[in-house]
Amino acid sequence: MNEITSNKLVIECKDVSKAFFNREGDHPVVDNLSFSVYENEFVVLFGPGQCGKTTILNLITGLETVTTGRVTVNGEIVDGPSPKRGLVYQTTNLFMWYNVMKNVEFGPSVQGVPKKERRKRAQHYIDLVGLTGFEKTYPVKLSGGMQQRVGIARAYCNEPEIICMDEPFGHLDAQTRYLMEKEIERISGAEKRTVIFVTNNAEEAIYLADRIILLRNCPTSVKKEYCIDLPRPRDYTSAEFLALREEITNAMDKVI
Amino acid sequence: MNTYLKRKIKLKIISLISLCVFILLWYLATAILELVPSYSLPSPVKILNTFIEKLTIKSPEGATLPQHIWASAKVAAYGFLLGAVFGLPLGILMGWNTKVDKIIRPVFDFLKPIPPIALIPVMIVFFGIGTKSKAVVVFFSTIIPCIVNAYSGIKQTSQIHLWVSQTFGASRLQQLFTVALPSSLPMIFAGLRVAVGSSWMALVAAELLGATRGIGYMISTARNLLRSDIIIVGLLTLGVIGIFITLIFDLLEKLIVRGGK
Amino acid sequence: MNMKKRITEGIKNLCLSLVGFAVILLLWAFIVQYTDAGLLIPSPLGVAQRLIYVITHPIGKSYTLPMHLVISLRRVMTGYCLSIVAGVLLGVSMGRLEMIQAIFRPIFEIIRPIPGVAWIPMAIVWFGIGETAKVFIIFMGGFVNIVVNTFAGAQRVDEDLMNCARMLGANERQVFFRIVIPFCVPYIFSGLQVGLSTCWMAVLAAEMVAAKEGVGWIITAGQDIADMTQIFVGIIAIAVTGLALAAILRLAEQILCRWRVRGK
Repeated sequence: MNEITSNKLVIECKDVSKAFFNREGDHPVVDNLSFSVYENEFVVLFGPGQCGKTTILNLITGLETVTTGRVTVNGEIVDGPSPKRGLVYQTTNLFMWYNVMKNVEFGPSVQGVPKKERRKRAQHYIDLVGLTGFEKTYPVKLSGGMQQRVGIARAYCNEPEIICMDEPFGHLDAQTRYLMEKEIERISGAEKRTVIFVTNNAEEAIYLADRIILLRNCPTSVKKEYCIDLPRPRDYTSAEFLALREEITNAMDKVI
Repeated sequence: MNTYLKRKIKLKIISLISLCVFILLWYLATAILELVPSYSLPSPVKILNTFIEKLTIKSPEGATLPQHIWASAKVAAYGFLLGAVFGLPLGILMGWNTKVDKIIRPVFDFLKPIPPIALIPVMIVFFGIGTKSKAVVVFFSTIIPCIVNAYSGIKQTSQIHLWVSQTFGASRLQQLFTVALPSSLPMIFAGLRVAVGSSWMALVAAELLGATRGIGYMISTARNLLRSDIIIVGLLTLGVIGIFITLIFDLLEKLIVRGGK
Repeated sequence: MNMKKRITEGIKNLCLSLVGFAVILLLWAFIVQYTDAGLLIPSPLGVAQRLIYVITHPIGKSYTLPMHLVISLRRVMTGYCLSIVAGVLLGVSMGRLEMIQAIFRPIFEIIRPIPGVAWIPMAIVWFGIGETAKVFIIFMGGFVNIVVNTFAGAQRVDEDLMNCARMLGANERQVFFRIVIPFCVPYIFSGLQVGLSTCWMAVLAAEMVAAKEGVGWIITAGQDIADMTQIFVGIIAIAVTGLALAAILRLAEQILCRWRVRGK
């Protein structure tokens, strides 16, 4: 039934809670969250806006630390950022003063990979995301969708154990968004990786996911999990797709 | 949160300590250890005394500190106001109306690269070393940045905002006053700040070169008399006045410019 | 097509500028001939003649005009470069390290509003009327502006960008040199431009007060012997050089900040 090729546990969040402190007091954002992600799974975290999805990603990548509970990746407890856990941002965060090639090869470059090898590696990923020919272009000259592709190539090029994507298509127009969804589908088909993808768009979630984890409103925890076993590439208008979409949208908490 | 506030307070205390340490070292080097001759770098105590002295005593250059400040301030204010009154409308007009722009542009491009300081001797030849020549120099220093910034401010008015006002039936003039001017206020203010900076500098230079009153004159004469204490009093006065002017501008900007970009 | 349009635009603007320039010259000549004020001002022709003369013949007992320019430029460049090094260092460290900011900022804020030219008498007392005094004054002129702008840039470095680099595996040193510094470069250039013009004015003032050579001296010397033509020649030399320096800096900025240009 599942598309999972192996049962190896890669990411585990166990009873994770996270609260932010400021002058007004405690703000719990994550409350007793537990879920697991297996090797090469494409898992989508789906939930109402502002519910804490980005915080969960930050906990997994190590940009934030848990208040209670434990996050492990491949058995290792997460306690800080590491090149083993890659992140694709909504706002791309490209290095504007580097051209596409230099952006994509940044990870290997700072880790000391020799030039020839890292160029080859970067070129592979630039080709993968469909940006062949743009190696010497500066990000300011690229469209939003193309910039996001660079961000994806850069994350992949570092060859991390897991890749997190934080609503990467949130700032794109509708058409580009559909295009990018298809591209991600293609890319993760060609390069198998464990991916956690965050979105608040139901269509996007169902189109891309092996499994959807539905989250509650803030303070968030897992409300329900859905295994999506529709054949790929999926059809946005098929009866099963639409039924799933209705089911998940109804199950979702209303935004406050 | 608690640690955040604690850190801010700790840093403020360090700033205070650093200032005190600086003055202390200064005092040590000059009054106690006498590492440098006192005509070169007087001790902070001497400077404080001189400051108090200069508040009321006219010697050695012929005027008290308040008189010097007043003399400089008068000239500065006069030249600055004239420069702004002429420069801002001119810049606005040039930005708004391309015909005016084309006519005035060559004159402007001709005068702009001339540093006002270079004009001081010309002004002295024309008007002598009195206040008039300095006021003209300040006028030039002010008018150039005012024109430049008013022009830029108008030019970068959002086309969309103008179109919106047009659909409401606004005439060209109304568009200028309701859309273009308010949105260029931040740039105009930036221009005024630059103008203050450069005109103040030009004024001090002018006073160094030929004057009978003013802070620049005070510093220059003090140099001739090897009275470094007066020089430093003068420099610190300039510093304090500068901070004061910046504060006033900040206040004005908060009051007048609402929601600038 | 785009290039052609731009070239014709450029030529049109150039013609307009030349026409405007010619109008000014005519106005100038008119004032000299027919007004009272004109008795004091030299005619454009007179100034042009003297300008050409001074390029090859020494002014009074000193050097030729190009020599004076070289002397002034050398002073400016020395002071300017020193102020860049010191200014960027202080600006970046104050912007990135809170401790450094806490220690140095109060003293800096007191020095900041003091105009560079005001340091001239102090510099003369400390260093005499030699080269050191002038370089010091030029340094003070540029230093303040460069620090202010660099500091603004260093403070604003996007934390997200730095985290992104860290997540890709960069250590702190790499984050500093490959993220923080490139980010600050446009801000540093703003500081450099303002600094250049203040340094240029500072050198003029310094030369007008206490020097025996340099373009600033040309003007004061002209004033001493009531030679308006010489003063005008000096002013023109100063204006043109100032323009050239600014243009060179802008070119450098365009090259180093290519990545900011919107090509579309």
